[in-house]
Formats: sequence, C-alpha cells, structure tokens
Amino acid sequence: MEPLTLHSFPRAIVHIDGDAFFASCEQSRRPKLQGRPVVTGKERGIAASMSYEAKARGVTRGMRIADIRKVCPDAVILPSDYETYSLLSKRFFAIVRRYTPDVEEYSIDECFCDLTGLRRPLRMSYLKIAERMKKELDTALGFTFSVGLAPNKVVAKIASKWAKPSGLTAIPGRELHRYLAKLPVEKVWGIGPNTSALLQKHGVHTALEFAQRAEEWVQQHFTKPFYAIWQELNGRFVIGLETAPHDNYSSIQKFKTFTPASFDQAFVFAQLAKNIENACVKARRHHLAAQRVVVYLRTQTFQDFGREVELSGPTCFPNDILKAIRPAFETLFMARTPYRATGVILLKLTEAYYGQLDLFGEAIRMQKMSNLYECVDTLRAKYGKHTLFLGASFLAHLEEQHAGERGHVPDRTAQLLPGETTRKRLGIPMFMGEVT
Amino acid sequence: MSKNAAYKLVTHLMDGGWIEKDAAGKLLPGPLFHAVPVLGTVTAGFPSPAEEELADTMSLDEYLITNKEATYILKVNGESMIEAGILPGDMLLVERGAEPRDGNIVIAQIDREWTMKFFRRRGRQVFLEAANKDFKPIHPQEELKIAAVVRAVIRKYS
Repeated sequence: MEPLTLHSFPRAIVHIDGDAFFASCEQSRRPKLQGRPVVTGKERGIAASMSYEAKARGVTRGMRIADIRKVCPDAVILPSDYETYSLLSKRFFAIVRRYTPDVEEYSIDECFCDLTGLRRPLRMSYLKIAERMKKELDTALGFTFSVGLAPNKVVAKIASKWAKPSGLTAIPGRELHRYLAKLPVEKVWGIGPNTSALLQKHGVHTALEFAQRAEEWVQQHFTKPFYAIWQELNGRFVIGLETAPHDNYSSIQKFKTFTPASFDQAFVFAQLAKNIENACVKARRHHLAAQRVVVYLRTQTFQDFGREVELSGPTCFPNDILKAIRPAFETLFMARTPYRATGVILLKLTEAYYGQLDLFGEAIRMQKMSNLYECVDTLRAKYGKHTLFLGASFLAHLEEQHAGERGHVPDRTAQLLPGETTRKRLGIPMFMGEVT
Repeated sequence: MSKNAAYKLVTHLMDGGWIEKDAAGKLLPGPLFHAVPVLGTVTAGFPSPAEEELADTMSLDEYLITNKEATYILKVNGESMIEAGILPGDMLLVERGAEPRDGNIVIAQIDREWTMKFFRRRGRQVFLEAANKDFKPIHPQEELKIAAVVRAVIRKYS
C-alpha cells in the first residue's frame, strides 16, 4: 500500500474523549458502583450515558429505563447530576490547558487540542505529551480517557476511538493509510448515513477508498464539508480549532419531563409556562434579559417540535415571554398526541437594563415589572420557590412532576454541607458514600 | 524611524525624567523609570497597608488547595479518626492520585467502601491504622488502593 502522505505530524492535533463520561463521574466518586452496570438519565426516562459494564450487557444510549430493567435487571440507574459533570468537565479542560492554550471544548466530555511546536519547550515527543496528559487526567478525575494523536481533527477523532476505553493511539501521516484501510467509511466523523449510502453506490466502502478518490471527483460529487473531510483523510490540516472559551450563560435552558404523558393542551402549556418562569428566575439572578426564545414540546415517542420567537425587546419577565410565545405554542401543539416534556431556551442574552426612554411608556411599564418581580423574588427566597407563580402555570403546580415515582434529585443536592443551599453549593466535586 | 525622530523622542523622555544620558552619551533609566510605589501616608509611624502588600496574600482556597483539578470534598461519617481530631460531620479536602507518605491520613478503598486511616509504611510493608482504639490496623492481603490523600479538615460552626 502506498502512504497517503509522507509527513508524520505537520500539525499535532489531539482528540481526548472521556470514557462513558457521566457514568464514569458516578463510578469514580462511589466505590460501590465500580465494576457494576451504571446508567444515568433516570430523570429523563432514557439512558443518557452507561458504564462499560452496562454497554456489555446490551444497554444503549437512548434506551428506555423500562427496557434497561429488562435487559439488565441489576443496573444501577441514577438521575443525572449535571452540576458535578460540569465541574469535572471544567477540570478536564483545565488539565489539557496545562499543556497548550489551543483547546477546543467540543462538548462536555470531548476536546481537541493543538500541540504543534510544543516538542522543544516541553522536551518531549508529541506522543509523550499526549501520554502525560492522559495520565494526569486519569489520576485527577479517577476514571479513564481515550486519546488520539494525529495531523488533524478528523484523523485525531479516528485515533481516539481506535482503542476505547482508555486507549492512546497515534496515527502519523505516513501510517494513515493502514488505519483507514480497516475503517468503514461511515465511521468517519461527519459522514452520516445518507452520505455513506451515496459513497457505497460509488463503490466506496472504507475510509481509505474515499481518501484515494481523485480530488476533482470529490469536489464534483460532494459539498464543501465532505471535501474538507477528504482533505483531512489525506493528512492535510484544514478544519481549524474553535478555541474561544464557551460563555456559560450565553443561553439559559429549562427542560422538564412529566409523567404520565398528557394530551391536555392547557396542562402542557402550564408545564411550558412553569419552565419559562423558572428560566426567567435564573435570568434575573444573573441580571440577564433575553431577546429571543425557543420553545419546544417532546412527544411520548421522543419527537421534538420547536419554534423560535423573537421578542420585541430584551426581557426577563415571564409575562412578556408567555404573550409572545402563545401563538407559537398553538401551532406546535397537536391534538390527540401525548406529550411528555416541554422546554424553553432563552437566547441572545444581554445585561438587563431598563434605563432607555421611549415614546410609548414602555420604560415605565418595565420599571413597574421590575419592581413587581423584585418583590416576587424576595417572597420566593423567603418562603420557597413555588410560593408565587403565574396563573398560566397553575396546572403544572397542582401535582408532583412525576406521578408515582418521586424524586429524581441527584445525591449531591440531597447531601448538603452546612451553609450550602439547594441553589448554591461548593464548586468542588464530592466523594459519595459512607466514609468509615 | 529617522534619527531625528528618535532624538526628539529621547529628549522628550529625558525632560520628563524617565531616562538619562551618561558621560559616554549612552541612555540609562532615569529616576522615574522604576517609580517607587507610594505605600500610603504616614500618620502614626507605620505606612498603612496598600494594594501592593495585598498581592502577597492568598485566599483560603489557595491556602487549602494545591492541586485544584485533583481536589475533592467528602463528609466524614465514622469515628475511626476521632483521636486525630476528625469527627463525624467534618468535611475533608482530599487530593486524588497523590503519593501517600508514612503518617499521612488517606482515603483508601476497601471492599467497595471508602475508609479513612493513617497510612503507615514499615520498610516494604504498608498498612492502615485508625486513630481509635476500637479499630484494629488493616494489613492488606492484596494491593492497597489509595484513592486520595487528606490535605485539610474543615469544621464549620454555624
């Protein structure tokens, strides 16, 4: 076989992936769970993440809890504790940044980083640096990571997947063809079922067969993103890293499942209104106002339907948002369809400020609303979150969110330290279980 | 930059007291170059502590935590370290992956449980010892799994 390129690492890109991240976060802080099948996502009713023990038993992502109990009766099914996962995710990126500032936080459990040029200052080969990063991650977080080193992002992703879990694979440019020959083309990052079906029609089955196609042919038959993938499969570096740090509050999201599912339009709207009220509470706490809102409904069959609504001005008051999204809700809601969840995302957040004057008395109204909600927030802080709410969400407050099965509260929220509240806790992850 | 422009700039800086010229015509930093920070007005014989001094202080976080990314908290339940002054309900700051030394308090993992004990090393042998007469030392049969080393104990009184 002829190599695709003769250069080993013209760029040194590393992809790091936390192995079964959420489930591993749980196992590493609770020795009782180690070696056992663990699944997170109880509060959503489906598996969000599962430990390798659970995967071995046939549990897959998105599987319903009821089905998990059938295929793996001894599985430990836990509610997601996003607070802890985010804290550990931040640590993950911080450790990678000990080596290089060029880090793309691709998702909560994955990142890319660029090590190009660091061999001399760190006096180590690229492979050695990747090894050190992995070792530091594994020890500091208490579970394993899979690492791939390659000349670009597409190949780095192939490398990190090559020997999961806890793998470390380096694919230098001149070895690239050996790996691609064994890789079905649909396993390449960014190549979906449709593209892979089209490629099969052209007789392309492996990633290598795709890489070996003529450049003109690829440009002729495929769109730009696929041409970029083709170039990277040939060892070039074309897909850059997005290293801008993520702004935590660039959006506020509230999503809640309710059981049993409901056909009742008023009830589903009340659920949505409750989410909007809660999202607004959070926005006000951070002195933010939204300019755009997305509302969505999830059916019993896990189909999501959403609409985006532009607001007339930035606001953090549910009254304004409810009025604006009402028509969108009515077009979304379908009769005779059971719904299981509603969600809202506040977007285009800006600093909440109502100083601007206008012709229509809007400033006065906003000042009034601001005074009103200051009182509402004070009352809630004193007497509890659900002391005062809008009539629109009344139906959602009548009963527990989940009839029958009570409580999907993560353990950490249930184990508060002196001085902590359900809303504010120490930003340090906790070892769980009895310490004797 | 032309010679003339450079000369003009240098003269300007000299006038301002930022730089000086020595006998050979070489440029030297002037008295204003390393300006001495003013620490505050002297009223009773001592300068008042100014910002400058605060730069050398650390937060409680920095004081208690060395390896930030590997530090975890946990809550004590048992009484096995009571004679070392660690009580049930105390909060510990522990560091994952740190190399334990003889006499350190560690969090070990035994039979799928966390346990907190003194780490003892006698030659090649290692064992765990409680700070409570009711507990016997633990001599591990197999490999001893040390999850973390205790760095600090916090007890908050309300």
